[in-house]
Amino acid sequence: MAEPTTQRDPGGEIDWQAIEASPEFQELVRKRKAFVLPGTIFFLAWYMGFILLAAYAEEFMSDRVYEGLTVGYCLALTQFVMVLVLGLMYLSRSAKVYDPLAAKAIERWEHLDTDEARAGRVADSRAGSRAATTTPEEPPR
Amino acid sequence: MIVFAEINTTAVIVFSIVLAITLVITYWASKRARSTAEFYAAGRGITGFQNGLAISGDYLSAASFLGIAGLIYLYGFDGFLYSIGFLVAFLTVMFLLAERMRNAGKYTIADVLAFRLRERPARVAAALGTLNVAAFYLIAQMVGAGVLIEKLVGIDFTLSVLLTGTFMLSYVVFGGMLATTWVQIIKAVLLMACIVVMSVFVLERVGFNPIELFNEAETEGKAEGSTFSLGPGTFLKNPIDTVSLGLALVLGTAGLPHILMRFFTVPDAKAARSSVVTAMFIIGFFYLLTTVIGFGARAILGQGGVEAAGKGGNLAAPNLAEELGGGAGTTGGDLFLAIVAGIAFATILAVVAGLVLSASGAVAHDVWSSIIRKGRDSDREEVLAAKVAALSIGAIAMAVAIAGGEGLNVSFMVGLAFAIAASANFPALLLALTWPRFNTTGAVTGVAFGIVSALGLIIISPIVWGGAPGAPDTGAFTWYDLNNPGLISIPLGFIGCVVGTLLSKERGAERSFHELYVRSETGLGAERALAEH
Repeated sequence: MAEPTTQRDPGGEIDWQAIEASPEFQELVRKRKAFVLPGTIFFLAWYMGFILLAAYAEEFMSDRVYEGLTVGYCLALTQFVMVLVLGLMYLSRSAKVYDPLAAKAIERWEHLDTDEARAGRVADSRAGSRAATTTPEEPPR
Repeated sequence: MIVFAEINTTAVIVFSIVLAITLVITYWASKRARSTAEFYAAGRGITGFQNGLAISGDYLSAASFLGIAGLIYLYGFDGFLYSIGFLVAFLTVMFLLAERMRNAGKYTIADVLAFRLRERPARVAAALGTLNVAAFYLIAQMVGAGVLIEKLVGIDFTLSVLLTGTFMLSYVVFGGMLATTWVQIIKAVLLMACIVVMSVFVLERVGFNPIELFNEAETEGKAEGSTFSLGPGTFLKNPIDTVSLGLALVLGTAGLPHILMRFFTVPDAKAARSSVVTAMFIIGFFYLLTTVIGFGARAILGQGGVEAAGKGGNLAAPNLAEELGGGAGTTGGDLFLAIVAGIAFATILAVVAGLVLSASGAVAHDVWSSIIRKGRDSDREEVLAAKVAALSIGAIAMAVAIAGGEGLNVSFMVGLAFAIAASANFPALLLALTWPRFNTTGAVTGVAFGIVSALGLIIISPIVWGGAPGAPDTGAFTWYDLNNPGLISIPLGFIGCVVGTLLSKERGAERSFHELYVRSETGLGAERALAEH
């Protein structure tokens, strides 16, 4: 393989596993997951529930709520509300909770993420995969 | 061959104005499309709000505008079902991929996979996924463009396809991502303005009472021969197929390369996140108004307008515009029709430009630069390779669209693109970013399973064998009645990833996961915006 064998990535000084193990990072991932995971399960369930009703409960979905407005359309509107509410909730949580935690987690390392390191990395990523350069123990082929 | 059957002069003038604006943008952008970061990612200088508009412009294809309005006009509720899937899909994008892609990727989907997996196989797999999705989507849009322009402006199908292809390529080749982005932004603004104005005209007729619009649409929908219904089941008749379609729609967007590529154009994850929410608002509002247009067409044009609306009801929206402007033959009617036609054209151009750009990235960045030249090419060479790739892909798409002609089923190909995106691209990307154990073999088998099963199942689907959608017994394979393969092919894509991973050993992939994981969650080491802008 023609992959560069020397480790030329100055970003290699960043100890990724140390960041991963840091309490800030763990807190970030835990808190984000605590919102995103139930959020994803909820929206998929609510959406697929709607699809299942549309597929298998034709009559129920065609029932009238008020004049020409059917149950189907009311449930469809709840999907719009769900998308916007979850979207805005995620935005505000990110700004209040996740962004500050992420900033804290990488605080000690950001000085290593300099423009020179980047210039090295750019040259690297042009010369081959970043994976190949940031993990000197590339798997044997 | 009659090239100019019945030219609509007003439409030609509107088209020319739209094209002139886009060419000015391209000229301005052409000076800033020299490096790869500029060519693929607009120097990462697009703001969150701009990107939200551009995502909307990239996403709302002619199928969304004319196709869904037409389906709602013809079938009512079932057409709306597509809108819901297209919209909710952005939650999948936001929760699972948008920020992570921005933090961990550079120009293409493959960058994220190649970060922790063995580069060559990972890039080949991802490039194949990208090219398959882009090809079907692109050809579908080109055929749609040809049919539309032929009907609305009176220019011959072949010429229409050539015209679309030429402009699409000039944006991409000369202006790169910057020109493409601004074409998408302008298109999104024009499209929203158009649909808002049309909706106001429609709502004005019912005293701005939406319930009254429902009632009137329903009254007209009771006409003999009408398929219109305020409940489900008139278009999507096979329940299990509806479920399959629903699943492919909600997961497919998160595997569309031209949408994911947009996240590389913003400066950071925060902007990526806010751009998704902006797009949600624009796209959600758009789909609500599509219902107003579809119901308006039903209430105003009635059952008598079905024939004029053409196959799939695609011309319902333009015909409604003509009617709202004063009717056929009046100055107002002509003008309204011409404006809607011009905007529909801009809509297609913005989408195809995004698709060609993402496909050129897969060919030039993943295959040419990283695999063939093993990264020894210069930045300048890669930009050149990307332009050559864009020209070739564009030429092939034009040729296929012209050869296939108007007979190619547009919605079938878009459905296929979504199915492949959801079954091949989405599982591999999601697992690469979240599953430490995931490895190269898993990615390759997952993508292969996804593409092959989606393609194979589409080939044996009733729709290919002449059966109407939802009529299971008309296909050649009576034991298989799904028109959308998602329900089977998406799980197969995931199973491929998991089985491939578990059956193989690879030490590096798990180690490099830590770096990808930290990068994707925090943005440390992520590509930055170019200073100049």
